[in-house]
Amino acid sequence: MSFLGSRADGQADALTTGNGDFSELLRLSDNRPTADAFRAPAAHALTSAATQIEATTVLSFHFKDGVLIAGDRRATAGNIIMYDRADKVIDLDHDTIIAIAGSPAVAFEMARTLQTSFQYYRRSQLQALSLSAKVRALGKLIKDNLPMTLQGVGTVVPILAARDPHHQPDPTLFFYDALGAQFQAVDFAVSGSGSPAARSVLQWINRWSGQPTSQRDEKQAVQLALQLLDVAAESDSATGGVDRRSHVFPQVKLLTREGLRSVSVETLRECFTSLEAAQK
Amino acid sequence: MTEEPYRWLEAITNRREYIEDQLTPGLPVVALSADPGILFLTIKTSTPKLFEIYDHLALGSLGHPADIEKVRQAAIDAAHLEGFARSPNDVTARRLVSYNLAPALKNAFEQIFAAPLLFRGILGELGSTPADDFLWRLDYDGSFSAQSGIELAHGMVISGPRHVGKDWLAQAPKPMLERHDLKAAAFSALRLLVWAKLRGTKDQGIAFADIPTNVPALKEKLGAEGLEVALLDRSWLDRTIRYRIPTPDELGL
Repeated sequence: MSFLGSRADGQADALTTGNGDFSELLRLSDNRPTADAFRAPAAHALTSAATQIEATTVLSFHFKDGVLIAGDRRATAGNIIMYDRADKVIDLDHDTIIAIAGSPAVAFEMARTLQTSFQYYRRSQLQALSLSAKVRALGKLIKDNLPMTLQGVGTVVPILAARDPHHQPDPTLFFYDALGAQFQAVDFAVSGSGSPAARSVLQWINRWSGQPTSQRDEKQAVQLALQLLDVAAESDSATGGVDRRSHVFPQVKLLTREGLRSVSVETLRECFTSLEAAQK
Repeated sequence: MTEEPYRWLEAITNRREYIEDQLTPGLPVVALSADPGILFLTIKTSTPKLFEIYDHLALGSLGHPADIEKVRQAAIDAAHLEGFARSPNDVTARRLVSYNLAPALKNAFEQIFAAPLLFRGILGELGSTPADDFLWRLDYDGSFSAQSGIELAHGMVISGPRHVGKDWLAQAPKPMLERHDLKAAAFSALRLLVWAKLRGTKDQGIAFADIPTNVPALKEKLGAEGLEVALLDRSWLDRTIRYRIPTPDELGL
């Protein structure tokens, strides 16, 4: 590091971006985690295991007080269950949550990059990154991941819940395609191999149930999330749902005008137990 | 000029004199490790002098705003790169000062054909208990020193006039500052700030014992419009952001 050094390209400071761009800092310091590994030669033919790239279910929807975002805990490799306590719903900062579906190695790295990027920008520029810039930052990471996506082994299709406490305090929901395009979800967003089942149920609820998700209170929203993941797990072997035997519950987080909150395991257990009791 | 050693020495001496002369109007900055966290206090000016660097690191500084900015940015860059490449637990003030900032500052100081960096600072590292805290004093020429353990009760001060910091270190016996809660720490830090300001300007012989022991009198002595305050909050150890600006009510000032 030098305050006076010069780079080969003639710019002044060796490791100073000056614009709060952490990705650029990683590039300058040759520390980019995904740089060359993702620029591998042409893709091999996709194997059946390699196509299991979104083996999970993450979902989110608007409820009365804000946005709920949830994910099951199962991690798979092909038809093997590797882990049943994976955390796929990750806080990026106090006002932003990502739910990841896709290649865990790439997805976790994206989450970590964003966590550091948001803090880096805020500290270096002495102001928080705007909501739109956060949303776009994730899209850019997905777009930069295009070579891995095309090879079929590194696809990430996340959901993002975010708010700007000063300019846009109501939480908003975004989903992405595998190439990095971003879309704002008006009522709900789902992703992963188990998501078609959840999507169908959510569409029915919002159109025909008479009580769309946006009219449900917190307890009803949490119960719905558990039901949706349970339904998804019925049809998708890569989705863990609610593990009744091991008492492993999905992750459920809430983003409201008051901020971000994780729903405790005790609350999830109570909600699920009351749902089961109502069926007897 | 640099081919001749004595000329180089002369140039460096002139450079040091120039920098010290430029830094002299710099207002003091105090850092105090207390039970609730590490408190930074200085006199408010038009440009900020207290900054968040990383989860558990903060910087108090004086000098030219553009030079402070260079050092601050370098510290933030290095800390975030290290935190990303390894883990946040691997980001330590000791490594940041010893292997990043100090060599870069020394290098800049010795580049006698380039404009010097006008900078003096305190880097604070918040630990899980006060005994785990560190305060690092860092100067424009790359020199640095650390304060830890029982020394932390003495507080750390930097000021434009270089002798102020040295005078505080040389106090015998060393005054131990009250720091059991935020109000006590803020009051102690304010007394030290007043001492440092007077020591650096009109009353260079003033003893710490002669500094008033009530807030209105201290503020009158300070004669400033306001204070700039920051806290690395120990009750926020489970959060990424531990840096915050406490309210005047919390501080009792």
